[in-house]
Amino acid sequence: MTEHLIHVEDLTIAYPMADGEKFRAIDGFSMTVNRGQIVGVVGESGAGKSTIGKATLGLLDENAVIDTGGVSLDQVMVTQLEEHAFTDIRGNKVGYIYQNPMTALNPVLTIGEQIVEAIEANTDKRGSAARDYAITLLEQAEVPHPEERLSKYPHQLSGGLCQRIVFAIAISAKPDLIIADEPTTALDVTVQKAVLDTLVKLTRQENIAIILITHDMGVVAEMCDYVYVLRHGKLVEEGPTAQVLKHPTQPYSRELMAAIPRIDTKIERFAVPGGLGKAEDRQRAIDYLMSRKTDAGVEGTPLLSVRNLSKTFTNNATALKAATDFKAVSDVSFDVYPGETLGIVGESGSGKSTVGRMILGLHKPDAGYEITYRGRNIDDLKSRADKLAHRQSLQCIFQDPYSSLNPRMTAGDNITYALRAHGTLTRQEARTLAGDLMELVGLPRASARKMPHAFSGGERQRIGIARALSFRPDFIFCDEPTSALDVTVQAELLNLMKDLQDQLGLTLLFVSHDLSVVRQMCDRVMVMKAGEVVEAGDCEKVLVAPDHPYTQGLLAAMPRFRPEEAS
Amino acid sequence: MLSFVGKRLGQSAILILIMSALVFFGMYVISDPVAVLAGEDFTEEDRLALAAELGVDRPLIAQYITFLGNVIRGDFGISFVYNRPVLDLILERLPATLEVAFFAMFIGLVVGIPLGVYSGLNQKARSTKTISFTTTVGYSIPNFWQGVLLILLFSVWFKVLPASGRGDTVDIFGVGWSLFSLDGLSHLILPALNLAIYTICLQARLARSGTQEVMYQDYMTFARAKGISRNRIVRRHLVRNILIPIVTITGLQLGGLIAFATVTETVFSWPGIGKLLLDSIHSSDRPVVVAYLILITLMFVTINFIVDVLYALLDPRIRYT
Repeated sequence: MTEHLIHVEDLTIAYPMADGEKFRAIDGFSMTVNRGQIVGVVGESGAGKSTIGKATLGLLDENAVIDTGGVSLDQVMVTQLEEHAFTDIRGNKVGYIYQNPMTALNPVLTIGEQIVEAIEANTDKRGSAARDYAITLLEQAEVPHPEERLSKYPHQLSGGLCQRIVFAIAISAKPDLIIADEPTTALDVTVQKAVLDTLVKLTRQENIAIILITHDMGVVAEMCDYVYVLRHGKLVEEGPTAQVLKHPTQPYSRELMAAIPRIDTKIERFAVPGGLGKAEDRQRAIDYLMSRKTDAGVEGTPLLSVRNLSKTFTNNATALKAATDFKAVSDVSFDVYPGETLGIVGESGSGKSTVGRMILGLHKPDAGYEITYRGRNIDDLKSRADKLAHRQSLQCIFQDPYSSLNPRMTAGDNITYALRAHGTLTRQEARTLAGDLMELVGLPRASARKMPHAFSGGERQRIGIARALSFRPDFIFCDEPTSALDVTVQAELLNLMKDLQDQLGLTLLFVSHDLSVVRQMCDRVMVMKAGEVVEAGDCEKVLVAPDHPYTQGLLAAMPRFRPEEAS
Repeated sequence: MLSFVGKRLGQSAILILIMSALVFFGMYVISDPVAVLAGEDFTEEDRLALAAELGVDRPLIAQYITFLGNVIRGDFGISFVYNRPVLDLILERLPATLEVAFFAMFIGLVVGIPLGVYSGLNQKARSTKTISFTTTVGYSIPNFWQGVLLILLFSVWFKVLPASGRGDTVDIFGVGWSLFSLDGLSHLILPALNLAIYTICLQARLARSGTQEVMYQDYMTFARAKGISRNRIVRRHLVRNILIPIVTITGLQLGGLIAFATVTETVFSWPGIGKLLLDSIHSSDRPVVVAYLILITLMFVTINFIVDVLYALLDPRIRYT
């Protein structure tokens, strides 16, 4: 007889809100996990996935209330335990792996201190025995040179290594269960694969069960035996992984699967519902945006030409160390043709965003470069009017929709304040334009009066797009525009960007770490590694039959989501 | 490291030069030492003779250059009033001020930080509201009035602590310390407390806001998930992380306590350096004022340097990036 390790029964967890209502983070949810089983809990942000893990460990926020049901671990109802009783469970029976390993480790304590304190709290090893055991654990977690790492601090190690250290801490007391909350979301794709392999190996050895909380279907497809799909705190669908991914029975699961960008094929549009604004307003916005496109560029000649672009950052000296140089971008050259999308892919720290920022003039490149836009060297632009026209013609959509809008201005003002500042628009014109652009990006024009915090992440990113468009640009630098968003929202936005590009003939520089997004969006692609371009060419060619080993490695590491092949 | 120290030293030298010039010329503008020191029966010749004796008859620039030359040789000049080397005067008084300032800072940190951490951790407790109310009040009371109240309370009503003076001192390394004799200690408590109350309140507020911020960091939740005790989480994970703003303010404040303990020293007749400064300003004793302010600048620079080094020791991210 299989014995249930974890049994969640009709769990409802609510948070009281300011208006006296209750927000149900988890609503009547049930699940079971057997020993040694890997169970996936998937859903988009706000689905309540993390709340389940926190409830199991007694780590819920103070104001959370368990309305119904509970979580039992080994026949013990943990949701009814007092705080002090959890010391036997935390670290001991249940290990926890945090989403972002860089923030889960305390920045001012050494790796050694942080592992040893967990060992001393949960096992009978003390002093040098605990230290030796820490080294053994790091070896098992496949951390190279474990002994040296003990005296290091988290920021001196890469995200992947930090996550391996978190693994070592989580398995230190040989727990029955590990709760892994988005364990690889903060990691690069090549690192993600290796780290997950290690996690599976470690837990299989000791027959440790895993609850894997994630939004990434690729990871679920590769790791999990059984999967639960959540939405707004409620269970949508459950079943063996292959069955749920291959034949989702519920509409939401189907939509979720359809929104996932595929690395293996290019599709024109994602099959997700996309809201369109009022036709009349949209047309007026499009007329406005087209009205300046006099010389968007001649087909066949580059709109933007970049030669020998490099950037060196210098760290200032502090009390205990000398100044250091860091070369973020070295000698990058490329052309972008009118109306096309050039993708730049690479892992974090590859310099891909820095390239875009230099083109916009947000960073000053090292001497010896040449940037030509519409046939003119941008350093030859001397008059204020020329410079202004140039800057307006090149716009940017930022990665983080939360910090890129001014929180003290309405959405409409966010879209048009720069134009207003130049005095090109009257207040009335600005209001009309903001409304039209809102409709163009699929938001009701009335909401232009709302403040940014009243919008979701995806809606804010739409406002960001509208703001970039307000200048009637020819060129938009998209800096990971969807990496902070859920997959269904990402799919809607990518559809929107494609539509706008088709209608307006925009030229895009699209920076992303996500190869499957790049495949859907880009005509040509450059692959960057440590500041250098290792491979460039036609997107289909580079992503289907890459020449460079680095690109091949990136592709191989992508978790595959191919429902039709799931077995 | 070396380039950093070199740059710091260069900046400090320039700072001290500017400071000395400002004070030197400023003192010249506001008062004439001859007028203050001369007796009523002085003739014009007597005045000229006095000016020549003090060295204030020469052009101001020449006086300043001579002064700088002397300072480099470690000679800050002779006090106009006491007719003794300025450095001796200052060094005589400095230990008393340092003693009361450091003692006050010690009380401030030892009481303030735990109070702040406690109230940060227990935001809803009634004691937290009391602490936050009290610190706001303590923070706002004017220092001189608070000093008088302390005297009234402990010296006049309860008669447990003396109101003025330093009491018996014990000589250590040729310097007298009140801290090491019972009588001296009883004299030290009130002035130190008067300086410490503000420090306690400031540190408590800093520690509280730091705690509230750090408490919600991922590594705090992860530390709980590891199963280590609450006590250890607070001592090792929390306190280390709130220390940086505390060290910054402590550095600034320590300088302030030493340099501007004047009010407290006056209220409690504490024979420290603050009283010397006041007296010297009144009597236009330029050498004393200038030397004092140069030493204070030097002290601020040193404290700031120590704070920068402490940053690096406390936060490995500053140490090696």
